[in-house]
Amino acid sequence: MVGKGEPVAVPPVPRDDNEEEDDTAGFVKLISAEGFEFVVDKKAAMVSNTLRNMLTSPGGFSETRHGEVRFPEITTHILEKICQYFYWSLHYSSGKETTEFPIEPEITLELMMAANYLDT
Amino acid sequence: MAAAASATGGETRLLDRCIDVAARSAATVEVWRRQRRSLERLPAQLADALLRRLAARGLLFPSLLEVFQRSVEEVDLSGLAAVDAEWLAYLGSFRYLRVLKLADCKNITNPAVWALSGMNTLKELDLSRCSKISDAGIKHIVTIESLEKLHLSETGLTDNGVMAISSLTNLHLLDLGGIQMTDNALRSLRVCGLIVTVSVATLFATEPAGLLHEATSITKTPDNVVSFLQDKSRTRWTVLTRLEYLDIWGSETTNEGASIFKAFTRLRFLNLSWTYVTNLTLPLTMRSLNMSNCTIHSICDEDSEFPVPLETFIASAASFGNIDEILSSIQANSLLYLDLCVCSLSNLSFIEKMENLVHLDLSSSRITDDAIEHIARIGANLKYLSLKDTGITSQALCILAGTVPNLMSLSLADTKIDDSALPYISMMPLLRTVDLSSTCIEGFAHTDVTVEKKLSMSEFENLRYLESLNLEGIPLSAEVIPPLASITALKFLYLRSDFLSDPALHSLSSASNLVHLGFCGNILSSSGLLQFVPPAKLCVLDLRGCWILPGDAISVFCRRYPKIEVKHELMQDLNANHVGTSQLHKPRKSQVSKAKVANSLAGPSRLLGFSIVDERIKYTKEELLELQHLVESNLAMHAVRLPPELQRTT
Repeated sequence: MVGKGEPVAVPPVPRDDNEEEDDTAGFVKLISAEGFEFVVDKKAAMVSNTLRNMLTSPGGFSETRHGEVRFPEITTHILEKICQYFYWSLHYSSGKETTEFPIEPEITLELMMAANYLDT
Repeated sequence: MAAAASATGGETRLLDRCIDVAARSAATVEVWRRQRRSLERLPAQLADALLRRLAARGLLFPSLLEVFQRSVEEVDLSGLAAVDAEWLAYLGSFRYLRVLKLADCKNITNPAVWALSGMNTLKELDLSRCSKISDAGIKHIVTIESLEKLHLSETGLTDNGVMAISSLTNLHLLDLGGIQMTDNALRSLRVCGLIVTVSVATLFATEPAGLLHEATSITKTPDNVVSFLQDKSRTRWTVLTRLEYLDIWGSETTNEGASIFKAFTRLRFLNLSWTYVTNLTLPLTMRSLNMSNCTIHSICDEDSEFPVPLETFIASAASFGNIDEILSSIQANSLLYLDLCVCSLSNLSFIEKMENLVHLDLSSSRITDDAIEHIARIGANLKYLSLKDTGITSQALCILAGTVPNLMSLSLADTKIDDSALPYISMMPLLRTVDLSSTCIEGFAHTDVTVEKKLSMSEFENLRYLESLNLEGIPLSAEVIPPLASITALKFLYLRSDFLSDPALHSLSSASNLVHLGFCGNILSSSGLLQFVPPAKLCVLDLRGCWILPGDAISVFCRRYPKIEVKHELMQDLNANHVGTSQLHKPRKSQVSKAKVANSLAGPSRLLGFSIVDERIKYTKEELLELQHLVESNLAMHAVRLPPELQRTT
């Protein structure tokens, strides 16, 4: 299972962005297994039902307060692809995007597992 | 969830896109096939879905199965003719396989299933219609002690094989339909004779405690507990104690074999159709009984105090001794589903107690209007009613109207009902499916006094939920069609007839929700088709049998509306000419390949055969003369009927 452990239970990745909480009101920070950070629009992140639940559930998750989510089992290049998909999906549903979302066969298995975890 | 769906545009999820890409071609499979670590980490439901997609695309081959051996839990290869011993050898090494469905895999032999022996993760095995499986194969299957569901219908099993199955004590479901077994085999499923070894007998040591609990929970009166226990003690050697579902249709079972059913104290489902059972004793746990094509004399012991609380009773084409007596041994108010089609019924008074009926099928049962009164009394919960091919007339609908408030599906095909029934049908507010094929409906309500005709189809506009309407085989004229376009929810419309022409098709352009339009056999001209502006949601246009349509008109139409699937005899040839040009029609590719096979088998004579059929034979001389006139009037009607925005220059 991808990311079975709660992201918060993972040893913190050495980063110094803790003070940004308020500034990223409309954004959420997604952190990959290697510690790379992707700052995405909350609206885009909501494409994932898992993230939607985390970000909208009242006070339950520390992710909601800090505005960042760690994915210790999703590697950087997969998380990047996921973020691209979030934006593509938004554009596609609003009709701005008409081309298919490109997926390279090499990453299908990894991406499949990440998509399964993120429920998207 | 709805919000989530809209967030993803209601489109395919990323997960499905990944599976789709992974199973796109043999080349993409090769790309990920070596990623062992990822494959082993794949959650079971993803691995199952990926395997299913590969199988559906024909990309699966035996050695590829190996990569799934640590992840997959459910495999369904039903219908794949290629599956043979080599495939099973790989499947036999799957570590966590729970469900294996191999129905219709004709190349599975007895030695091939050896690979499955002892797979104790397996709970369900489906070998239905694997005709090469016989008693010798069962030897291997009975080593899988964990099996809970076993499907062996229409295999080459005989009594000996069935007897061996009795060692699978965990079975809940046993499907032995279409097997030539006798009462002896059936008894072996119950009686612990010499066949069953000591190790099985020890399994029963734990039974009595649970048995007592079960007895007290089912029956309340003391007398009953005693009799129940006595019954149990007689049958405590029952081998398949857990059996809930038993299907032995088409076997040679007689009353003697049927006497054991009472011993299966958890039995809920029993299919005895096409057997010789006439007298039947059932445990009170029974919910669903199928005795179609049987001769039924009694369903319960004469001394039994309790009627069986059946929910489903299917007795199509059965003949009854005393039907009132037989049905009184079924608890009337528990019955939800009753199928008595092709039974010769004269009196329906027994039905009046079945007040909770939801599904009632009386098609071809020779009932007349007199019987409808009884149905009207229990109509409150009815959702499905079939009176197809019975002796009823419009009068029946007059009786039913207002008594069936929940009716969703009504079939009146092949009856003598006419237009006067339509107002009554429109009083059944929740109707979704109506079948009026081959009835006497004309589309005009005749008023006796005046000669004036009134379009009766407009009655359907009152049915807000009507989704499917079948008017096939009725000689309707084009002028009665327009009201059909204003049935708001209509998705499926079937108008197979020999007489409708271009204006009828054109008048359906405004049917906003229409998804499937069957317009088979009609007089449709090429200009008529090309001037047709299909409704926006139309997906399927069935023009089979529209014999004057030339192929080029169809291909022009298809190119103009690529999203609509057109069905016509010439389509296969048209597709064959355009192999590979269109990526949009993936499903059609398989049709193309089939067509190719058919062509290669039949040779050029097939095409020739099609073109020389003289369609005039289906019309009488008078009708032909009328048709001639029809084509002329079409031209006149175009100008009048077609609104300017719908006109199209060809």
